[in-house]
Amino acid sequence: MISRRFLEIATAVLTGTFGAAVAISSLDNGIGWSTAGVEAGTFPFLVGLIILLGSLYNLVRSRLDPPQVSITRADMRALLALFLPAAAFIAAIPLLGMYVATAAYMLGVLTFRRGVSRLRALVYAVVTPVLLYLVFEWAFQVSLPHGLLGEILGL
Amino acid sequence: MENVEALMHGFGIAVTVPHLALMVVGVLLGILVGVLPGLGAPNGVSLLLPLTFGMQPVSAIILLSSMYWGALFGGSVTSILFNIPGEPSSVATTFDGYPMARDGRPTTALATAFGSAAFGALVGVVLITFLAAWVAKAALAFGPPEFFAVYFLAFASFIGMGGFPPIKTLVSLSIGFAIAAIGIDTVSGAVRLTMGVDELVKGVNFIVAVMGLFGIGELLIATEESFQLKSVSSRVDWREVVRTVATLPRHGVAMLRSAAIGCWMGITPGGPTAASFMSYAIAKRLSRRSQAFGRGEPEGIVAPETADHAAGTSALLPMLSLGIPGSATAAVMMGGLMIWGLNPGPMLFIEQKDFVWGLIASMYVGNIVAVVLVLATVPIFAALMRVPFYLIAPLILIICTVGAYSVSNSYLDVLLMLGFGVVGYLFKKLSYPLAPLVLATVIGDKAEDAFRQSMLMSKGSLGIFVSNGLVGSLMAAGLVLLLLPLWLQFRRLQVPSEEQR
Repeated sequence: MISRRFLEIATAVLTGTFGAAVAISSLDNGIGWSTAGVEAGTFPFLVGLIILLGSLYNLVRSRLDPPQVSITRADMRALLALFLPAAAFIAAIPLLGMYVATAAYMLGVLTFRRGVSRLRALVYAVVTPVLLYLVFEWAFQVSLPHGLLGEILGL
Repeated sequence: MENVEALMHGFGIAVTVPHLALMVVGVLLGILVGVLPGLGAPNGVSLLLPLTFGMQPVSAIILLSSMYWGALFGGSVTSILFNIPGEPSSVATTFDGYPMARDGRPTTALATAFGSAAFGALVGVVLITFLAAWVAKAALAFGPPEFFAVYFLAFASFIGMGGFPPIKTLVSLSIGFAIAAIGIDTVSGAVRLTMGVDELVKGVNFIVAVMGLFGIGELLIATEESFQLKSVSSRVDWREVVRTVATLPRHGVAMLRSAAIGCWMGITPGGPTAASFMSYAIAKRLSRRSQAFGRGEPEGIVAPETADHAAGTSALLPMLSLGIPGSATAAVMMGGLMIWGLNPGPMLFIEQKDFVWGLIASMYVGNIVAVVLVLATVPIFAALMRVPFYLIAPLILIICTVGAYSVSNSYLDVLLMLGFGVVGYLFKKLSYPLAPLVLATVIGDKAEDAFRQSMLMSKGSLGIFVSNGLVGSLMAAGLVLLLLPLWLQFRRLQVPSEEQR
């Protein structure tokens, strides 16, 4: 179980780190005034600073929140059940290419689902990449990645 | 009268067979993304954007804007029939729309919603017709300081009137600015904020951000909402539609008030979501039947729907005439304009007359097409809601992945999208607003350029922002909006009982 307070803190740390990184990175471009006008790093530096300060405020503010469950165990399971296969799918694209990865992803997600027959899962796994091909590669001539696998097969 | 003439010319462009067909396609796709949880107008329009690169700009904008109208209507369908808002801006419609539908009057609820929505949209379009060219003409005299002041006012109004926690809004907005700054600086040519990743030199495309924040983020949120589809009948009785629309004038005062709220929030840009909530709250407070709100009171549908559509439509006014989009979807469309090689802003009304007036005319026709199509297709789209989520979720994910990839054939974009998805989930969960982030991603560069050009003009003195009445009052208005939340908080501290109510 994850409390709202924990989420608030995690998000504030995330945004604060981003803000700090932006502010520090813009120092390379110079901040302040030069003969060419406002230097390139000034605006991002200020923006990074605002993000950092705002995140600090949100961090302090989060302590005032009542400790309240925001993501229950069941929620977490549902979240991960969507997110992990999705991340695996995206990670597989450079290797398998978009089409094979799509098919594997659909097959994987649907096979592990109770109440979906193997045959139906297989049909969806085949139909989805075929539709993608028809819409993108064929109708709109947008080439999707074929991956390392495609390279090996010489596509 | 000049406007009417130009509008008639616009109708000549918009009302052709290919453009009407595009409207139908756009509206249907829009209803689809509006109905599906996890897909909304901003990422629906983003998905379609790469497919419009080969089109004439006017055809492309007709397709995209029609999709926007369709999505606005589609969001209300699921709000009313399933108590699931398809779009954030139709949350307020569930308050009275669903109870009315549950009580056996789904057609009445839908017709009330669509009738008032159409009215709101009409007011928005009329406003654009008569005001946009005038605003653009006034804006022709603007220099960098005035433009910066207008940007400042727009961003400040998010913080002051967006209805989200002000500091969270500020953080979200600033993250958008930082993302916009990644890549090559348009003024000096220096490379900024790439943090050692060479591929970031080209910058982060707003479409990638939209796909992640709205698409993936919303999907993750949707896993938590239990989809108990206590659906009500989705059959539409056309006689009941006519009867309901005929009774709408009874709510004339509420409609006019809601349209005014919507237009104001659309232009400034508070956005449709804030507009619909504000309009609902005000209607409830002012109505003599305020006790009936929440239990299927027609005015509880009229108020948010009118404001939602008035805001959604009028959000295109500042986009066209000033180059400042009034909502997240308008921001995406403006990104499209720039990709098609048009320069959003006052010059558009001079250089691209056909485009501007073709679009405005298409808004009249497109909304009529949308009302008719949405009523005719309610049963079909309602049936779509019965497709199980475990099937829809991976499909939407695949679509977003392909969409993010096809922006510039980059795998990095896909990874960024996934990252934005996690951020989108956290932000939604913790009520950080997403629209300011997208807006700042699209126009952050322009706001920064305006600021730096002003500074060059004044040789580094901030005094340029109060150097004349116009720029001074715009900046002052922005400051008032910025400080508004602080003042409200201060008052609340003084009157603690008010918060408990």
